[in-house]
Amino acid sequence: MANIREIQTRINSVKDTMKITNAMYMISSTKMRQAKKKLAESEPYFYGLQGEISRILRHMPEIEHLYFDKREEVPKEKRKIGSIVITADKGLAGAYNHNIVKVEDELLKEPGEHKLFVVGELGRHYYANKGVKIDTNFLYTVQKPTMHRARDIAEEIFSQFREGELDEVYIVYTRMENSMLTMVEKMKILPLERSSFNEMKMPINIHREAIALYPSAEAVLDSIVPNYVVGMIYGCLVEAYASEHNARMTAMQSATDSAQEIIKDLSIIYNRARQAAITQEITEVCAGAKAQKRKRK
Amino acid sequence: MDTFGLKIISSDRVFYEGRCRKMIVPVPDGGGMEILPHHENMVIAVAIGDTKLQFEEGEWVDVAVGTGFLEIVNNRVTMLVQTAEKPEDIDARHAQEQKEYAEERLRQKQSIQEYYRTQASLSRAMNRLKVSKRKEW
Repeated sequence: MANIREIQTRINSVKDTMKITNAMYMISSTKMRQAKKKLAESEPYFYGLQGEISRILRHMPEIEHLYFDKREEVPKEKRKIGSIVITADKGLAGAYNHNIVKVEDELLKEPGEHKLFVVGELGRHYYANKGVKIDTNFLYTVQKPTMHRARDIAEEIFSQFREGELDEVYIVYTRMENSMLTMVEKMKILPLERSSFNEMKMPINIHREAIALYPSAEAVLDSIVPNYVVGMIYGCLVEAYASEHNARMTAMQSATDSAQEIIKDLSIIYNRARQAAITQEITEVCAGAKAQKRKRK
Repeated sequence: MDTFGLKIISSDRVFYEGRCRKMIVPVPDGGGMEILPHHENMVIAVAIGDTKLQFEEGEWVDVAVGTGFLEIVNNRVTMLVQTAEKPEDIDARHAQEQKEYAEERLRQKQSIQEYYRTQASLSRAMNRLKVSKRKEW
């Protein structure tokens, strides 16, 4: 049986670790709440943009825009595929990062020239070690997602898309289904798909209200479409941030639980060891006393 | 006087919802566009600038807006912009710092893309500064 002092130190160290995991649990839960609030606040804007694009597409199905250009002339093997991968800045979040990486690895197997835009320190390390082509100037953190950061990311993607450095852009992130379930999702952000704006087929006999566009249809789309993509990226950043903290919360919760279990087991062992030591001492004292008694006789 | 329904949504919240008499919005060609009640149905691209609203006769209030667009359907105006700020919410000192920072970056040699980005942030900062000196709501 282990030495009493050893058990004592072990219990204390587990208790210290438990304090840390417990604190991390609390931090993550507040951060997750903030992220959810942020997401709810930006929703009206995002749905408004989506609604407007679908309205314009409905009224002017023939309209052309750069960001709707599918570039079908580029053959499959030559297509330059960019993916924005959102991982966490650190581990300690259960399977959160592994799930993301798994989905991205799948995407990398598809034909085409791949280029990665990694958000988050952990994913950057992982893909740097793997030797995948990463945009090295793309250094953004996942902490505290802001509209400003989403705008910067979008600008970067847009300029490469315009110059033909990218033909397709995906974003791989984790979406929060509910507080129990998170899902890794791969979403195409460029070129935009007309079908994703669920184009309603309008009955012919219904009067379509005519809408004028000022200064021109292009100018209006130019001001809506990029913002829509920015909104999309922002939404993904916030979702990923919330999911990360949700994952960390669960991981830390179970870490705290198992720490408690270990402490319980250890204290039983400790008490047994203590009992055994006491018993032994008593036996020794008794034996000593008896021996003395016998001698006197 | 007639009014129209106005809803201003910025990327982080619903900024304003209510009735309005007149408004002037900045448009990409540099000017302003005035919208009166019962305006023709229209979608207008909005540039970075100063939007003026009139709730009471003869009293204009200002809002600093980012890029976005505005939609007029059946006398209801919906404005979706990246940012919308009241003059008193703008931190003038912070905006000044942003302006100086952007100017500094503009002076340095940089790629075209960075140039456009800096130019945009400069115009946002200047607009904030301009609006923050206006009358409060």
